Amino acid sequence: MEIIKTNNLKKSYMLGKVEVKALNGVDTSIEQGEFVAIMGPSGCGKSTFLNLTGMLDIPTSGEIYIEGNDVTNMNSNKRAEYRLKYIGFIFQFFNLFNELTVMENVMFPMMLNKRPNYKERAKELLDLVGLGDRLNHLPSEISGGQQQRVTIARSLGNDPKILLADEPTGNLDTKSSIEIIELFRKLNREQGQTIVMVTHSPEIGGMADRIIHFRDGTIGN
Amino acid sequence: MSVDLRSALFYSRKDIFKNRKVFIIITLSIILATANIIVINGLVDGMIGDLVDNTIQSSVGHLNIYPDDNERFIEGLGIKEQKLAALKDVEAYSPRISATGVLSNKGLSVSSTILALNPDNERKTTKLLEKLVRGTAINSNDKNAILVSSRLAEDLKLDIGDEATLAFETGVVKVYVVKGIVRTGNLDFDGSTVIMPLNEAYRQLGIDNMASIILIKLSDKSMTEIYKPMIMQNLDVNNVKTWKQETEFVSNFANSWRSTSSVISGVGLIAAAISVGIVIYINVIHKKRQIGIMKAMGTNDAFIFTVFLMEAAIFGIIGVFIGDCLGYLSIRYFEANPFLDAISQTWISARFEPQLFYIATIVSFAVTILAGVYPAIKASRVEIIKAIWGT
Ligand SMILES: Nc1ncnc2c1ncn2[C@@H]1O[C@H](COP(=O)(O)OP(=O)(O)O)[C@@H](O)[C@H]1O
Ligand SMILES: [Mg+2]
Repeated sequence: MEIIKTNNLKKSYMLGKVEVKALNGVDTSIEQGEFVAIMGPSGCGKSTFLNLTGMLDIPTSGEIYIEGNDVTNMNSNKRAEYRLKYIGFIFQFFNLFNELTVMENVMFPMMLNKRPNYKERAKELLDLVGLGDRLNHLPSEISGGQQQRVTIARSLGNDPKILLADEPTGNLDTKSSIEIIELFRKLNREQGQTIVMVTHSPEIGGMADRIIHFRDGTIGN
Repeated sequence: MSVDLRSALFYSRKDIFKNRKVFIIITLSIILATANIIVINGLVDGMIGDLVDNTIQSSVGHLNIYPDDNERFIEGLGIKEQKLAALKDVEAYSPRISATGVLSNKGLSVSSTILALNPDNERKTTKLLEKLVRGTAINSNDKNAILVSSRLAEDLKLDIGDEATLAFETGVVKVYVVKGIVRTGNLDFDGSTVIMPLNEAYRQLGIDNMASIILIKLSDKSMTEIYKPMIMQNLDVNNVKTWKQETEFVSNFANSWRSTSSVISGVGLIAAAISVGIVIYINVIHKKRQIGIMKAMGTNDAFIFTVFLMEAAIFGIIGVFIGDCLGYLSIRYFEANPFLDAISQTWISARFEPQLFYIATIVSFAVTILAGVYPAIKASRVEIIKAIWGT
């Protein structure tokens, strides 16, 4: 089943009076349970694509469908609710709330979604990402790779249909990067989690089911 | 999506207590501002209350008969006294004569107010004679004993048993023995009053059967409005004032004290509120990225607004509560331990009015919350994309 579909998706920004076309007509289709890597040179629109499909921003034209529903023109409160329930985000760095402990960071989205037993669930998720022994640490007390794993645990709290990761390993050493990707693979294989990940690294991209290449705001080959 | 208050509170609390030092300083400023409102206004209430009490206790009765316009004395005192005695709710009355004189001792002279009264009547009517600080009271048939008010005694270096020379306005000069010293707390009174028996004043002034004022005590001071017209008619007098009219003068400067104290407490409160606003504002600016992440995670603008408004509310609740307690304890302390104001030479005590407490609580809290509104709006408007990618 098709979980994400975009139709002639366009996004331009105005830089002063100059129009910058970040996306220039992107048609994609991503299946439920797929692990997709998005690759391409810097500035070709990868982040823009992820932000639009994650409903952080509104396209200039074109449509976005999630599970067949047109979500293109939802109002901002609806989009927030959709993000909370269906989408997990992992950005390149500084994803965590630094005044909350590791455990509290993971609990927070579940509290927002009024999910019962969120404490037990948070512990389970932190065990899953291998940080069951760091519950009461602050983000500043753990490494960058560990922080990204906490972010992944946090993004899974409300069982989102889609995980969107924008260069999640961009700031990590090779060993930590491999750990993150292996975690993604495991989530994808064991839980059927749909994952869309932007990366620069061909090795990391190569671990995905499929690579979508972007070039100058469109999908290339 | 509605705002989940529990999650908002969860985050606000964590955020606000993260920096203990800032939290303590800001809370302290609200504590002091709130306590300040209660204490300053409580002291003003105390001063006003003391003034009213003093006036009622020593200088006026529930009803007071004055001479007709253009007359110096009330004539036919004996008949009027009989009529007063016949009235049901008139518990007591005290005719007084006031005159001017000059009191001298050891080469020092001070012009004084001579207050002549019948000690037995006065005792039943006012508490003036209970205000003796030293010595004993005068008797109605004393011929050469006087009481001297405290500041006058100080100025003339007079003590109990000393002799002082009193020159009456009629030209008569006589030596009296100081039998007691009186202090009422009223500046004018304490500065220049000589008290003597009514009969002695009659003799020296060459008058009889008259009074400058008749103070009346009713069995219930709320009955003045009924008795005022009755007494005017029965006694055939035109100038009768109730205790409320007598203390009206207090409300004039009471109002000006109150507005001064409101300004002082208002300034403190605004300073506290501004610091709350600034601290939350700086925090919002500092946290833009985290606010962006929170929105990306699925919170809406209203939630973010609530988080930061709640931070102001937490400052407010804790600061106002402790401020209320501190204010209350200070007021109770000053109530029990009046202090001497060096400038006006009066004892200042505070008074606890529950109403003041409610006002301080509501105003402080409202102003603190208000201070959080702008930063909270600012936070709710953070744009996700800009915040996360820093563009
Ligand atoms: N907020 C913005 N304002 C103006 N231009 C932007 C903005 N975001 C992205 N761009 C431009 O859009 C293009 C695509 O950006 P982006 O999607 O971030 O690329 P990528 O993630 O592939 O490096 C770039 O030229 C970038 O400069
Ligand atoms: Mg990018």
